[in-house]
This record gives sequence, structure tokens and C-alpha cells, in this order.
Amino acid sequence: MDIGYMIEIFPKLISTLPISLLIILTSSILGLMLSIVITALRIKRIKFLSPILEAYISFMRSIPILLLLFLVYYGLPVFFSLLNLNMNDLSAIVSAMITLIIFNGAYLSEILRPAYLAVEKGQHEAADSLGYTSFTKIRKFIIPQMAPVALPGLGNAVIYLIHDTSLVFTIGIVDIMGKANLIMANSYGENKVEVFLTIAIIYWMVCLLSDRFIKLCENHTYLRKIENKRAFNSQSLKLHQKFTKRNIKSNLD
Amino acid sequence: MFDFKVLLESIIEIATVVPKTLVLAIFILLLSLLMGAIIALIQQYKVPVFSQIIKVLQSFLRGTPNVVLLYLMYYALPGILTFFAGILRIEFDANSLNPIVTVILTFSISYSVFQSEIIRGSILSIEKGQIEAAQSLGFSFWQTFRRVIIPQALVAAFPDILNSLLVIIKALSLAYLISVVDILGQAKMVGALSYRYLEAFVGAALIYWLIGVILTFISNRFELKLRHGFH
Repeated sequence: MDIGYMIEIFPKLISTLPISLLIILTSSILGLMLSIVITALRIKRIKFLSPILEAYISFMRSIPILLLLFLVYYGLPVFFSLLNLNMNDLSAIVSAMITLIIFNGAYLSEILRPAYLAVEKGQHEAADSLGYTSFTKIRKFIIPQMAPVALPGLGNAVIYLIHDTSLVFTIGIVDIMGKANLIMANSYGENKVEVFLTIAIIYWMVCLLSDRFIKLCENHTYLRKIENKRAFNSQSLKLHQKFTKRNIKSNLD
Repeated sequence: MFDFKVLLESIIEIATVVPKTLVLAIFILLLSLLMGAIIALIQQYKVPVFSQIIKVLQSFLRGTPNVVLLYLMYYALPGILTFFAGILRIEFDANSLNPIVTVILTFSISYSVFQSEIIRGSILSIEKGQIEAAQSLGFSFWQTFRRVIIPQALVAAFPDILNSLLVIIKALSLAYLISVVDILGQAKMVGALSYRYLEAFVGAALIYWLIGVILTFISNRFELKLRHGFH
């Protein structure tokens, strides 16, 4: 174990973090948007579309992300050339993003759909009877009630997305793993254990940070707010009782 | 551009490694279930020192991608094993370590934490009344465990266990990085031989999809049966 070496390569490895973060952010935002569209289509149950969507989701569920990455990287140029489009210089980063977007579109819809179905029918009816438009209904009634159900699953999905991003070095993107291979090639294969231990620690830190972020979001959902309010109220009640008791005592004295 | 004859040929060639992959995955599943049970017991009884170590391990395994873990084990395991062999004074040649052993150990450790959650959940899902009823009938602890808790917990955990089998089969696709040939590794080799990567990858995807559909079908059937009861 050479801790000095680990500290030495730490800045080199972390300098490639922006490219991973770019892939993570783009594919999480666009993937979430795609999954919202897919969830909406699945809930609507359109006749010919829904078997296709089910097939898409079961396909994404059963193939490894690494294989999907290769399929997109080698397959998309061929697919586009069938449509007479020249996409031979599709960059590796774009294919990685496309892979993660279509993968997360399916994966997140498996989280969002149960969350939507968990909202009671009465809530929809109440909103309708009060005359809300469907957009306002979703914004004010459905999403606040979906959030506490969906957020733990979404947090896990972010962690898995970070894990999956570590595979993009296999199609030649220089992210942390790619940089590690370069460093190992320069040092003639010495200190491999230290390099990968450093990478593991970096990923651990990133995942802990994103866990914190999701916890912060969870604290803003209405369920947690009610809990906090109750806890605060009972606390202030106790404080109030304490003070009044003291006052009564001092009065008696 | 896309040749269906090549696709068919590559599917047949890739299918030859499916049994090996399945056996490897089931072996990893059983090993990780065993380790998961031990972890669940340690957490349930809050064994000092061990439960703290497991907490850190849980956080570490949750935060580290499988690729990084696999490479870490691949390079660190010979050293670790040589160290322990030195303590126990056993002759051990670190270079003779088969990469399959590394794959099995890495994924068993990595998934044991998840299995422990499944096991804990399934045991907690059993009603207390069941255990009390068994006790009132004069069952010993071991009898209660074997005749009341295990059958119900297994039934409750079965869909989750099948799901984690699928997850392990998918995770095994990383094994080709350390030269263990599974479905994806075979697809890469077939593609490299014929310079037709795309057909080989599509074939591999179809095989994975078939496995996934079969496993989902079994677990759905089982859940339906579970809901209607085994009578």
C-alpha cells in the first residue's frame, strides 16, 4: 500500500470528473423526461403502442447496460445509413448519452408508474370536481403525492446511473477509468491496486454526495413537512409547558 | 449491412456459453444468499464490531461500481491470498489464481449486501402470530425456524431472489474484462472473428432478452400462485 502514490494520482483522476458529470447530468435529465412521456403513454393504454412499450421495457430490463452501450455505439451508424443519413462520426460521448437516456427512460418509468398508481382515485375526482384543469391538477395534487413514493427509487436510480457511467471507458471515452488505464500504462502496471482503490473512494464520495442531495429533496416533500411540523409543535408544546410550570412555581414562591 | 444469416450463426455460437453463464450466476446467487443470511443475522442481533464493519461495507458497496470492484479484486486478491497463505504457512502460487474465482468472490460479496436486505424483509414480513402459534404448540426454536419461518420467508422472497438472479446474470457481462467468457464475452469473440460486431451483439441481446422474459414469466406465475395460496 502506497498512500503517497494515491494522493499523487488523486488530482489526475479527479480532473476527468467533469466529463462523467456531464454524461450523468444530461442523461438523468433527458432520461427523466423520456420516462415521463413513456409513463404517460403507458397509463393512457393506447391500443397498438402499449405492447411495443412493454416489449421495450422488458428488453431494457433484461439486457446488461454494457451490451446496450456496444449496440448503440456500433448499431446507430448502421441504422442511420439505412435512412441514408451519414452519422459515421457519431462521437462516443453522444452514444454513451443516448444509451443511458434510453436505458433510464425504461428504468425510471418502472419507478414513476407505481408512484402514479399509488395516488388514490378520490384525489383525481376531488381535483376534477373543484374544477382544476388537468395541468394544474397534476402540478398541485398528483406530483406532490407522487414525490414521497418515487423519491427513494429515484435516488437509487441516480446511484445506478453513476455506476453505469463508469462503463463508458469501454467505448474509448477517457473518464476516470480511462484515465486510470492511461496512468497504469505510464507506470508500467505498477501500483494497480492503489489506482483502483483511489477510484473506488472517488465513486464512494460522489455517491454519498448524491445520497445527501436526495435526502434534501425528500425533506421538502409534503409528508416530511407535516412530520417536521408535528415534531416542532410537540417540542414547542413541551417547551411551553416547561415555561408555564416554572412561571407557576415562581408565582407560588 | 445487416446479415440475418450471420445473426443466426452467431446466436447458435453464443448459445453454447449460456449454460456456463447460468451455472456461474446460480452459484454466485447461492453464495451471496448464504453471506446475506449471515449479514442479516449480524444486523438483527447487532453483534458489536461486526455490525459496524458491515455498515461501512454496505455504504462502500453501494457507492462503488461493479467494474471498479472487479478490477480492484482482480489486482488485490493475489496479494491478499498470498498474505493469508503466508500466515497459515500454506504453499500458494498467486499467479495460478483462476479469474473465475475472482468473479465469483467479487459478485458474491457485492450482492450479499442486497440479499441481506431481501432476507431481512422476508423474515420481517412473517406475522408475529405465526411464531406465537408455533410456540404455543410447543415447537422448539429450531423447529419454529425450520417449519414455520423458512417456508413462509422463502415464498415471500422468491420473486426478489429471481430478480436478483437476473441482475447477477447481467452483472456477469463485466467478467469479460478480466477474461472470463460469458454471453457478452462470447459475443465479442464471435464478432471479432467475423468482423461483424453488430450481428453478434444483437444476437447476445436477443439471448439476454429471452432469459429475462423467462425469468419474469416464472416470477409472475409464482406471484399469482402466491396470491391464490398453495392449496
